[in-house]
Amino acid sequence: MDYLIFSLSLMFVYIGLAQLLHIQFGMAGIPNFGVVGFWGIGLYGTGVLYVNYGVPLLPAIVVASVLSMVIGYIMALLVLQRSGQAILAATLALAAVIATLVVSEKELTGGVQGLGTIKFPFDGVDSRNLIFMLFILAVVLALIWLSSRLRDSRMGRQLVAIRDNEELAASLGKDTAATKRLVFAITCGFMGVLGGMSAPLHQFLVPYQLAPSLTFAVWIALVLGGKGHNLGAMIGVFVTFGLFDILIETYAPVPAEQAILLPNFKLFCYGVLLVMIIMFRPKGILGEDKPRVADAAAGKG
Amino acid sequence: MLLIDAIFIGLLEASPLILAAMGFTLIFYLNGFMNIAYAESITFGAYFAVLFNVVLGLHFYMAIIPSMLLSGAFSVAVYLAIFRPALNRGVGPTEMIILSVGVSFMLRYGVILVVGPENLFLNEPSITYLRFLGMGATNLQLVALALVLLAAGVLYWMIYNTGLGEQMRGLANNRELAMASGINPHRTSVAIWFIAGCAGGLSGVFTGVFAQVTPYMGWNVILITMLVTIVAGVGSVRGAVIAAIAAGILTAFITLVTKPLYAEVILLTAFIGVLTFRGARTA
Repeated sequence: MDYLIFSLSLMFVYIGLAQLLHIQFGMAGIPNFGVVGFWGIGLYGTGVLYVNYGVPLLPAIVVASVLSMVIGYIMALLVLQRSGQAILAATLALAAVIATLVVSEKELTGGVQGLGTIKFPFDGVDSRNLIFMLFILAVVLALIWLSSRLRDSRMGRQLVAIRDNEELAASLGKDTAATKRLVFAITCGFMGVLGGMSAPLHQFLVPYQLAPSLTFAVWIALVLGGKGHNLGAMIGVFVTFGLFDILIETYAPVPAEQAILLPNFKLFCYGVLLVMIIMFRPKGILGEDKPRVADAAAGKG
Repeated sequence: MLLIDAIFIGLLEASPLILAAMGFTLIFYLNGFMNIAYAESITFGAYFAVLFNVVLGLHFYMAIIPSMLLSGAFSVAVYLAIFRPALNRGVGPTEMIILSVGVSFMLRYGVILVVGPENLFLNEPSITYLRFLGMGATNLQLVALALVLLAAGVLYWMIYNTGLGEQMRGLANNRELAMASGINPHRTSVAIWFIAGCAGGLSGVFTGVFAQVTPYMGWNVILITMLVTIVAGVGSVRGAVIAAIAAGILTAFITLVTKPLYAEVILLTAFIGVLTFRGARTA
């Protein structure tokens, strides 16, 4: 039961990350390949504050997320007006820098030996992990709701305009660079929130958790589900993480010798799925959804 | 003295990187997307070398050429099976990168499923330590450096001085005009993917012999290759060579004066800085 709660909590974190990536890439067209970096700032920021300085969990998450947002903003200032491929490489590099710093700054992070233990909040209550899971779920649902509000808002339409043709949007008098920076920084901050909330899930932090595979898992889920659809992130995570990590790894009767190869088989399948989806259904399983307000306005006009 | 050491060590360490960066740049230049699955050209080169060198018992130097050619052929196969259909369908540059991530996963974990996740070792030729103007290197390192420089030179010559290179540059700059001038885009692309695959494979063979052959070895160098390529400017093979050498020397220098881990941090941060001030602005 505890393991199922852990897996589900982790799945909600993935859904949240993919949802934020939907805003960054699906709406604003920013290819952020440093998801694990911003998540990791939240994770290790929370861990360091909690373990080394005795800050309670929730304030620690807030501080770490603000840090993640600030770094997101700096990154946005540096590279956001560059080509997509440059943004992609730069964010990937940022994630590598953070992972390396976590290893090298042993005094703070425990280096490769790890950092722990981070306990669930709500001391003395029964099944704290279950309550914490519901807490994560609430945050993720709020994110999905917020991003649907964003999609229907003036700013959401501005983002789509920037994504499709930035020069045109700028010529209509929109400060496209500032809008992109703001959205990028806020979504990176939320990635930090999800990272901070992952800290008590993992309890013990090791640098291995900052490997780029998290970034790719989130990307694969989003592209699979539909990067332009508000529920695409959720569907994508169900198909990847839900199907493989929860259903197959927990319930499929796999003999012990093959069980070691199972994670590799999973990643192999992710690759095949990703190739198939881009070749045959590039908009993802759900396709793209249109903002409601725009439709209503078109109907009236 | 420190500087000379750094240049020497940097050149030795950067030699596989130079090849990888050149091959990566070729594909980037011709097709306009960063092919992350290029990492697997590097990995497969090393695995092919294991096949010839360890399984079939060939001498290491004899195994280099067939591994390189197989890696090239493999690269062409991947291009024909996946990337060419995708390009024909009009998949955009960012989606092409995501597609290449998918291909990369498929190949990397496919290798693990077939060969197994264990690290493998190549049978090195006998190693002697040579001293040269006060600096030391093994004969293997020097052979690698010489071969890599030779290959890089041939590649460079091919791009800037032969018909194939001219066709490639024509296609990359103006596809319609090139095709109207009678350049067959299909043949040129196959040739370029073959050459790029060979360069990656050779780079993998040397990376593998200096350390070990793992399914992740290509992945470990692809980030730095990507950054070198972007900093060099879209599709400038000349720039890629210079940037790769600079990256190698810089890494060696920083490693000599501080901790190796900081070398990586400083190098990556420097790359982000360079991107900020002179990043490729093309989409």
